[in-house]
Amino acid sequence: MMLSPPGFLWLLRHELRVLWRGSILVRTHKYVLLPALVVGVLFQGVALALGALMVKHPIPAEEMLLAANINLVFLFALMFSRAMTSSIDVIYGRGDADFLLASPIPPGRVLAVRMLGVAFSIAAPWLLLGGVLANALAAFGQYWALSIYPMLVAEALLVAALAFALVVLLLGRIGPQAARRVGHTLALAVGVGIFVLGQAPHFVVPQRLAAFWAAMLPGPNGGGLAFLFARGLLGQGAALAASLAFCLVGFAVVWVFLAVPFARGTITAAAFRPAGRAAAQGATFRKSAFAALFAKDLRLLARFPGVVTQVVYRSLTLVPVLMILSGKFHTVGGLVVAAPLLVFLAGQLALFFISVLAGSESVPMLIASAPVPAALPRRASIAASGYAALIILALPLLAVFARVPELLPPLLLGLSGVLLCNLCLGLRFPIPLMRAAFGKSQTGTLLGLILGIAVSTAWALAIWLLAAPQPWAWLG
Amino acid sequence: MRGELNSAPEAMALEVRGLSKSFGRKVVEGLDLTIHPGEFYALLGPNGVGKTTTLRMIAGLMRPDAGSIKVFGRDVLADPLGAKAIMAWLPDEPLLYDRLSPLEYLAFIAGLWRVDSTLAKTRAEELLETLGLWPYRNERCEGFSRGMKQKTVLAGALIHDPQLLLLDEPFTGLDAASAKLVKTILSRHADAGAAIILTTHILEVAERLATRIGILSGGALLAEGDLPALRALAGLTGGTLEDVFLHLTTA
Repeated sequence: MMLSPPGFLWLLRHELRVLWRGSILVRTHKYVLLPALVVGVLFQGVALALGALMVKHPIPAEEMLLAANINLVFLFALMFSRAMTSSIDVIYGRGDADFLLASPIPPGRVLAVRMLGVAFSIAAPWLLLGGVLANALAAFGQYWALSIYPMLVAEALLVAALAFALVVLLLGRIGPQAARRVGHTLALAVGVGIFVLGQAPHFVVPQRLAAFWAAMLPGPNGGGLAFLFARGLLGQGAALAASLAFCLVGFAVVWVFLAVPFARGTITAAAFRPAGRAAAQGATFRKSAFAALFAKDLRLLARFPGVVTQVVYRSLTLVPVLMILSGKFHTVGGLVVAAPLLVFLAGQLALFFISVLAGSESVPMLIASAPVPAALPRRASIAASGYAALIILALPLLAVFARVPELLPPLLLGLSGVLLCNLCLGLRFPIPLMRAAFGKSQTGTLLGLILGIAVSTAWALAIWLLAAPQPWAWLG
Repeated sequence: MRGELNSAPEAMALEVRGLSKSFGRKVVEGLDLTIHPGEFYALLGPNGVGKTTTLRMIAGLMRPDAGSIKVFGRDVLADPLGAKAIMAWLPDEPLLYDRLSPLEYLAFIAGLWRVDSTLAKTRAEELLETLGLWPYRNERCEGFSRGMKQKTVLAGALIHDPQLLLLDEPFTGLDAASAKLVKTILSRHADAGAAIILTTHILEVAERLATRIGILSGGALLAEGDLPALRALAGLTGGTLEDVFLHLTTA
């Protein structure tokens, strides 16, 4: 009954199908599935080795609990920011909420399915990653590790429900655009926070760090409620049952309270037509097709939703570069290490910017109807993306010029090469950046991302070999 | 600008000969079409008879399998850029960047058609004023209604003062007042010597605006002429264009 239209499972199957077809794996080139499979097998191999090591040298129970808790907190933060943007997509961005609400399906069912869809989509990557380790541990008789599956799903349900609630609240108060910005900012804060914490050993005195971790340990009583989820993750039956129940109740409570406003249509696309937003500046008229295309591309780049977050994410590579150049951080390779890092960053920024432009070109037929050569729009996009990447790299380049001027020639060679390669590559294989609107096809492919990272890495390596006096010394 | 661009003032505005295109099945088959400067031509026909395909081929967006297209003497197939420079194509879906404002959009279009910057700025202001978009000139188009988007793209189509306007269902989404305004603007443009070819399913518009009407069927012209001529072809002594159209296409 539930499987036949318009039953709950039938609707859930539809939702998961839509999410699957919008997912990065399906949006990608068909041949990328083969390397993805190879990477999966490699991951499982590494996980088996890690599992064997964990069985041979068991980690003390207290430390395991702390590690499990830290992982759950990190996962919560990462899943929450992702759930926020996904919730905005399914409520507002995808544009099919009104379409479903206009059907005779109970709105509460539509909402439940949407929330479940978000939960599954945020849990899936972590289930895949965590699953390989859990499988490996189970292969060595550590069956408790399999509790990662129900625990991650439960956590995702709770996170999805909370994110949904926050998104509904924000949509009502500040509208979809600002709500999306909050989601992106949160994602950025989480990403930067994790990066900064990862760098803690470089700027916190070791004794103080050790004292901090010691204070965080759960103690002999298991840490009480604060470690309930961690104990569930480590397979303790009662804690697992209590954690699952808590998450399910949380999900149900949010669903009950959101079903009514959802039914009234207050959180659907129709309720939040974007108001007229002021453009940043007036237009400049120029009698040049290239200038017009270049200006349009720069505007679309600057106005791409989440552009700041994405650029900051990618530019985190600049932190170690600036630390190295300012002498705050010493590596075996010395200051020369800055060159391959900058080349890699340039490649990634170029790939991102050109993908934004390829994805933002919503009306290619308009330009096709204009009296301009077919190659001109592509050249303008390449120029605008390269220009944007160089603007971000200007400060570190000046720093290199000031500290190690002899590094500039190989660095400029590497920058030119990686920019040219990835800009051309991105035009052909843009990386997938945004879910397509309802009724629109998706642009972007994971193949572009894989090839782009490979190209950036290859150029970074080449510049390292060219610039470093003893490129292999660090191996010794 | 129009005087400068028109290299062959005596030429037909549009001359289509033996135009054919198939996508597995024949969509346009041996179409002959001639439009004079200053003429307002309505291309009518049931769904799927090749109206949009014909306009796309004329606009240089699609290469025909056979035939020739000349716009004011310029061969669209041999010199597509030269022909595009004096044409504007307005499809049924507004081709607009949601994240640009109307003024930015017009600056972009004017740049693509290399319109002198001072002239383009003046024209943009006039068009936005005329079409009632001036108060919204610096707002991004993402929040615009369908009608406002349609008016913005119409302003884009007119900013370079094209000699041939190709309009595919231009009245979709427009309210009565906007539709009247657009009709007035288009008529003025035709009176100034430009040729206009439009497809529409709103037959009253074609009846009121068009100086000549062509009815497509099976990818070729089934009938052509003004309303009295079409009535005569249909063997009717009176009736509206709708009566004539239905009589001819369902016969």
